[in-house]
Amino acid sequence: MSKASYIRRYWQLYALLSLPIMYFLIFRYGPMYGVQIAFKDFNLFQGINGSEWIGFDAFREVFGMKEFYSSLRNTFMLNFLDLIVSFPAPIILAIMLYEVKSVWFKKISQTLLYIPHFISWVIIGGIVYQLFGNQSGMVNGVLESMGLNPIPFLTEKNPWLITYLFTGVWQSAGWGTILYLAALTGVNRELFEAAEVDGATRMKKIFYITLPSIKPTIITLLILNLGKMVSIGFDRPYIIGNTAVREYSDVLSTFVYRIGLESGQYTLATVVGLFQAVVGLVFILGSNYISKKVTGDGIL
Amino acid sequence: MTVNVNQRVLKKAIGIGLTAVMGATLLAGCSSDGKSNSAAGGTDAPGKSAERVTLKVEIFDRGKTPKQYTITNNFVSQMIQKNFGDPNNINVEFVPVQRSEEVTKLNVLMASNTDVPDIVFTYDSSVFYRYAQQGGLTDVGSLLEEHGQTLKKFIGDETMAFGQLDGKQFAIPGKRAITGRYASYIRQDWLDKLGLPVPKNTDELYTTLKAFKEKDPGGLGSKTIPMGMSLGSAQLETLIYSFIKPISGDLTYSQRYELPLHEGFKDAAQFLNKLYNEGLVSKDFSLDEDKAQVSKDIQNGNVGFWSEDVDSMFYADGTLDNLYKNVPGSKVLPADILTNAKVDNKYIKSRYASNGMYIMIPKSSKRAVEAVKYLDWMATGNNLIDIYNGVEGENYDMVEGIPVVKADVSQEFQDRLFTSGDTAIISNGKNLGDQATNEKAWILGFPANNQEALKQSIDIANTDTVGPIVFGKPIESESKYGTTLSDKLNVIIVKTAMAKPDQFDTIFEQEMKDYMSLGGDKLKAELEQALTEISAK
Repeated sequence: MSKASYIRRYWQLYALLSLPIMYFLIFRYGPMYGVQIAFKDFNLFQGINGSEWIGFDAFREVFGMKEFYSSLRNTFMLNFLDLIVSFPAPIILAIMLYEVKSVWFKKISQTLLYIPHFISWVIIGGIVYQLFGNQSGMVNGVLESMGLNPIPFLTEKNPWLITYLFTGVWQSAGWGTILYLAALTGVNRELFEAAEVDGATRMKKIFYITLPSIKPTIITLLILNLGKMVSIGFDRPYIIGNTAVREYSDVLSTFVYRIGLESGQYTLATVVGLFQAVVGLVFILGSNYISKKVTGDGIL
Repeated sequence: MTVNVNQRVLKKAIGIGLTAVMGATLLAGCSSDGKSNSAAGGTDAPGKSAERVTLKVEIFDRGKTPKQYTITNNFVSQMIQKNFGDPNNINVEFVPVQRSEEVTKLNVLMASNTDVPDIVFTYDSSVFYRYAQQGGLTDVGSLLEEHGQTLKKFIGDETMAFGQLDGKQFAIPGKRAITGRYASYIRQDWLDKLGLPVPKNTDELYTTLKAFKEKDPGGLGSKTIPMGMSLGSAQLETLIYSFIKPISGDLTYSQRYELPLHEGFKDAAQFLNKLYNEGLVSKDFSLDEDKAQVSKDIQNGNVGFWSEDVDSMFYADGTLDNLYKNVPGSKVLPADILTNAKVDNKYIKSRYASNGMYIMIPKSSKRAVEAVKYLDWMATGNNLIDIYNGVEGENYDMVEGIPVVKADVSQEFQDRLFTSGDTAIISNGKNLGDQATNEKAWILGFPANNQEALKQSIDIANTDTVGPIVFGKPIESESKYGTTLSDKLNVIIVKTAMAKPDQFDTIFEQEMKDYMSLGGDKLKAELEQALTEISAK
């Protein structure tokens, strides 16, 4: 079949494909035009074209800033801890849900687990403050009435980190199970029956059937997560963070917000953004390479 | 059969077409809002549309809109359209900007060139200077000569100078009616219960706070907060000002993040450290950046002593009314207590400069003439009084040239004025004449039962004030390091306050070193340089 007639025959599919392509062109590639701000002394009123080129001056300035390094360190630290704590959570949860026999119980708990995903971080922040404050927090109120010392959940480093990580797990673990559960529906039930005949226990079945069947999904998500090591969402550290733990809660995204949008130094903010993108690319390529070497699976 | 196939194809095609249309609408959706915000409310005259122009004016949205109005279409906006817009053939359109994200949103608006309102404003001098230096603002000097004589007279030369850079008038500074900022309050009923006198200075205050903590006159147990504290300026800055030595006489560096450059800052931090470790201040003050928590605690009757903005306690159904409702028998006494040992034990506190916000016309605006005319109109005759007070006879009565709010104004009439203060941008507070008249007018705008306490508050706020040094030129380091250092100031305060007393010195030194290296040293050098320049003049 010639190319032209091939396209004519499947034009509907191409028309559908054109929408995501348009999305990427407009919202992903279009804005890359603005990357040049990193190399210009950007003047709000002259626009991108009217501003003067300054070469790598802005990069030198950013790499000389102390805050840049502390926010970079915090970004890695929070993401790394998140990877250890939050990444396995949906896997465990998905396996547990998969093992549940009662359909109605499974459905109800799935819905309940999804709900936090749809609550915005601003609201979660409010809840966290109400629950974990030192003076007015409910949890500390209970501790105090039991004669225990209050725990500074929000104002000291280690308790804060735990609060930060577990609000993350609470918010996203349920939603994260979706992909794993989808992968699990594809597993052939005969495998389990065969294992049962052979006398495998429930744990054995989990380790030798369930986990290996979702391994590709786990690896794909792990690679994607590693690629995001250097980028971090804005809302969570900004809202859960506070002045008392600023040393640990100040991350690249809040740093960009402060120097870019709050004090109007767009050039510096763009430099940081570009830096994040480049490091992110290195991470994703690197982890993909390693994963291919070690397990034979990759995403690229 | 063929018919069937054709129908199927048709169905498919319609499906794809619809999908595409929906996608396109989604994309277009982003750009189409904000265009229909005309304040005119149906007063457009279609026949004259050729020469009718639209003037866009920024307005703060504080999220307190009564349900019968919107932030862009309400009593005040309709009044402006009727009295200013229609006679001049102008559509006045208000562009809402969320109060708490004012500068961020303004930066975005300014960058867009086409969507930016014709009149914008900010309280932040470094934002104004940055726009002016980057060439983004209209020089309004000649426009004011031609169309703004009333406005010029209203603002006055002294205040007008705040909006100049290199001899050009890039902004019109609003005029501030009252320069007093903060007052302090103590629970009289707690003092009475313990048989204590009103403390007269900072040392006595400490003793009183300890008594509040130990004897618990409110019977609240661990909920008792002897001294209300937050990271908001009303609580934090008043405390710091009672320890620092002003730079020169009754003038000093005014930005909040410049406080660490003052002699005595360490004493303030140390005092707060002592209060915190002995449990005498709000335990969660580090989480309370907008003083929401401390206001709640005051209303619930948990706080013994606190500082506040001079007016903010006294609004109808405000903090004070709520406290009296929540805690029967409670009594709040405005009292000047915090003394500064470095300045002859005076009650040092900060005051505002004589200017309010910087009102600016972006260079890209094609309606600069109309913008100046609008501001000039606002300064003319009774217009400002109308904007502030609503309708004579319904909202207020004129008594000896002062608009007096009528007692028991219905909610409906009260709701008319929710945008008043944010619309009357040329005047910060009610400007009627000299400061004493303004204060009188201001007090008369409050509920009658709170007027006496407000009057005492204003007297306190005007005692021993320290104002900002006006350099008359931009301090580069302020715009460059301002936000970073603001953040750092909060960190210094919180970390040193929460440190164990024996670690205070180490942590304070460490934090100050950090502050200096984040731009504090450059800021200090530049401020000192600028200071020698103005004293040489």
